[in-house]
Amino acid sequence: MEQVVYRIRRFDGEKEFWQEYSFAHEPNKTVLWGLLKIKETADPSLSFVAACRSAVCGACAVRVNGEAVLACETPLDALLGRFGATLVLEPLGNFPVIRDLVVDWEPKAVRLAEAKPWLMPREEFSAEAGCRQTQAEFKMINAQTNCILCGSCASECNKLSMGDDDFYEPFVYTKAGKFVADSRDGLAAEHLRPVLERGLWKCVHCQECVAKCPKRVAPAEDIAALRRESIRQGLTDNQGARHALAFAGDITNTGRLNETTMAVKTDGLLKSATRLPFALRLLRRGKLNPFHFPAPVEGIDGVRAIVKAAKEAKE
Amino acid sequence: MQIFDVLVIGSGGAGMRAALEAGTRGGLSVGLMTKMFPTRSATGMAQGGINGVLGNADPTDTVAKHIFDTVKGSDYLGDQDAIAFFCGQAAAAIREIDYYGVPFSRDAKGQIAQRNFGGQSAPRTCFSADKTGHVILHTMYEQCLKHGVKMLTDRQLLDLAVDGDGLCGVVALDIRTGRVVPVKAKAVVVATGGAGRMYWSRTTNPFTSTADGMAACFRAGIPLKDPEMVQFHPTGLAGTGILMSEASRAEGGYLYNNAGERFMVRYAPEKMELATRDLVSQAIETEIREGRGFGEGMNAYVLLDLRHLGREKILERLPGIRDLAITFEQVDPIEAPIPIRPSCHYTMGGVDVTDFRTGGTALAGLFAAGEAACVSIHGANRLGGNSLADIMVFGKCAGVGAADYAEAQGREAGGGALETKAAEWEARLAAAMARGGGSSVASIRDRLAEAMWNKVGIFRRGAEMAEAAAIVDGLTAEYERCAVGDDSRVFNTALVNYVELGNLLTMAKAVVLGAVNRTESRGCHLREDYPARDDVNFLKHTLVTLTGSQYELSYRPVVVTEHQPAERRY
Ligand SMILES: Cc1cc2nc3c(=O)[nH]c(=O)nc-3n(C[C@H](O)[C@H](O)[C@H](O)COP(=O)(O)OP(=O)(O)OC[C@H]3O[C@@H](n4cnc5c(N)ncnc54)[C@H](O)[C@@H]3O)c2cc1C
Ligand code: SF4
Ligand code: SF4
Ligand code: FES
Repeated sequence: MEQVVYRIRRFDGEKEFWQEYSFAHEPNKTVLWGLLKIKETADPSLSFVAACRSAVCGACAVRVNGEAVLACETPLDALLGRFGATLVLEPLGNFPVIRDLVVDWEPKAVRLAEAKPWLMPREEFSAEAGCRQTQAEFKMINAQTNCILCGSCASECNKLSMGDDDFYEPFVYTKAGKFVADSRDGLAAEHLRPVLERGLWKCVHCQECVAKCPKRVAPAEDIAALRRESIRQGLTDNQGARHALAFAGDITNTGRLNETTMAVKTDGLLKSATRLPFALRLLRRGKLNPFHFPAPVEGIDGVRAIVKAAKEAKE
Repeated sequence: MQIFDVLVIGSGGAGMRAALEAGTRGGLSVGLMTKMFPTRSATGMAQGGINGVLGNADPTDTVAKHIFDTVKGSDYLGDQDAIAFFCGQAAAAIREIDYYGVPFSRDAKGQIAQRNFGGQSAPRTCFSADKTGHVILHTMYEQCLKHGVKMLTDRQLLDLAVDGDGLCGVVALDIRTGRVVPVKAKAVVVATGGAGRMYWSRTTNPFTSTADGMAACFRAGIPLKDPEMVQFHPTGLAGTGILMSEASRAEGGYLYNNAGERFMVRYAPEKMELATRDLVSQAIETEIREGRGFGEGMNAYVLLDLRHLGREKILERLPGIRDLAITFEQVDPIEAPIPIRPSCHYTMGGVDVTDFRTGGTALAGLFAAGEAACVSIHGANRLGGNSLADIMVFGKCAGVGAADYAEAQGREAGGGALETKAAEWEARLAAAMARGGGSSVASIRDRLAEAMWNKVGIFRRGAEMAEAAAIVDGLTAEYERCAVGDDSRVFNTALVNYVELGNLLTMAKAVVLGAVNRTESRGCHLREDYPARDDVNFLKHTLVTLTGSQYELSYRPVVVTEHQPAERRY
């Protein structure tokens, strides 16, 4: 391959347009290298941001052929091998665009702050003496601290793409989850409440956030952990928790999930009718069969035993 | 016009720590200006750790030892009163950020774990796996969110505005709108980080480390102190300059030359790979020069071998380093040694701080902290782990200093000087954007970096540096006519880079001037034509001051209290 083509979705503050740039291929380079090459040798007006060029600052995330990546760490050759000589570059999804590949983080910072992402230390600790924590407890939060706020998860989140009124960016749940899991923190409920109020039970489990995170953070797992913790804390007076309890009920009774009765149990009859379009979408994708009433699976006693054991372990 | 009591410039650890301190005091309006989203700072790149005498790993460690290690590490150019103050505060600063939420790796008792680091007589470096700076930066950001610190994101400091009565505030480029905006402030804290990008691709620093704050203070008449003191980190990746943390040596990595020899045995037989950075950098360069490296010329390297540490330890203690080596050098350290060579890492010199307790400078109301500042505690060579401690300790001091000053200052500064400065910059930037022809910003920048690396790098010589000085002057003239290449008002990063290049040229000129005139070798400043340290003539700080358009040179004695200069041996 001699020439590489970047087809870039550009925006000048008023209008959007596509522009193609081609440059000579060099082996072992990154997506960011290509962008710098264009800016420095062909078109200084092409705008993007990058700071660390070593995958720790989170500045350079962009979409390449529909997937969010860190431009600075993504090997060009691997992409070219997969997609051919032309790559399509776009700004992150689910962010307002300022110019070209530059997106606006300011509204995201406001939303992040709502989840109170800061340590509320337990009473026995002080600023003078610091805190105590075992290495095992530290490891409980080590994965979440890897988040560099690059926005890749938010870009690809299927739930967030449907609107951000009732859902946060996945990294917001990770930040909240970090403090709930931190043994030094004494006020888990404070971190739980904001995410409970916005979306904790609405994640559609698509796992895009886990798949796209360049730092091996797993927001979907943090969401699951936050849900478990909210139920443990008795914060069950909300639709999501009722859904989960219905889910647990179904599994105990039949070993299978009954999607139809579950919608009724959690939403009430009227609301579940309004969810029809969503259900139809799922139906089209083969994810929901309203005419299928599952029979108990074999070994249902085993399933019931597991659910019971899990309940007892929690109590 | 925006008005603040305290305006902090730069959102690295130093800036956010300062803003937090001023912001939690109550009753003061505090702004935090930054040219990129706050968590994109160099602080987040620090992997290794932060120093303080907690005595967790070694109960016999003392502040006195930390002081001595720092003084010795600085090759006696650090001010000993400031160093004593710093070492005395570091442990408290670390406990405090533990309380703020920094997740530290722990020891068996649940205390903060500590490990060995280069140039230190006890294991006193606290860490969080190998992302210490990242977690400190994010914790500071979380605290700023908690306290509702007002962030002015995507705004680049251009200049300070000073009138007959003193400091009025700053003018900045609002990158989003392309307009120059004046911001009035009673007190300003400059915390804009280092200047490593003078060496462009030969640095561990992010693209943003372009001496903006240093140059702005310099233009306002504040001296640059010890600008010639530039640290090179021994272990940058051969291909990109990206840092392999000191932790890789601290955890027991070996350095080999092309003869398979652990060559440090000839340079620092006791400390071996754990000797200070300057010694290790010079050792590697010497090996390469004398033909014992791999590869040729600019592409030469030696090997950093971690394999004997074993898979488990590498995965547990050095996962970030492993990731970087795989991603950027296509080498998995579990299986093969990593090609490395030195890379410009830290700017010891900077804005001349005259009162270390507050970060105060010669201009009332102007404070500086972090890598942008020169206090000086790092002297001619900074110890690993001392910079993160520096930004936490002195970031807080500057926050307190600026808040105290703003409280005591009744005067509401006049806006006249601000308006004039803003109009000046508006005109200058508009002209630069309109200009066609001329060299590109990138071409001037690359030639600057090449001259600095080859002639004012790890080894220095008077004649070569004189050439470098001429090159910098030539490039500065070219810069006046260069093309930005983009005349948009919306997020014009080419314009940002243009401003940055001007600052790099200013800083580079000061570096060369300081380096040419320091006719001795000390710490990172290695003169081949003057190989010995000269305490009789050079136990003093270089001060470069702008008078009119002239860079003027003067000196100030180093503060020596307890430790008389002695030969530095490891
Ligand atoms: C790869 C690497 C590893 C390191 N490892 C360690 C370590 O293990 N231990 C240690 O102690 N030290 C380490 N250091 C050094 C240490 O990280 C830095 O010296 C320190 O973090 C500097 O902090 P700071 O707050 O002064 O500046 P920075 O973190 O550099 O922040 C500067 C801020 O100023 C902003 N800024 C710059 N110019 C302008 C402008 N014109 N207008 C507005 N804002 C501006 C930037 O955007 C940034 O937010 C390392 C450095 C690097 C690069
Ligand atoms: S798993 Fe949930 S949070 Fe993650 S991308 Fe899918 S919907 Fe979003
Ligand atoms: S969770 Fe991962 S993908 Fe999401 S912002 Fe953090 S680092 Fe980026
Ligand atoms: S430039 Fe920092 S993550 Fe890519």
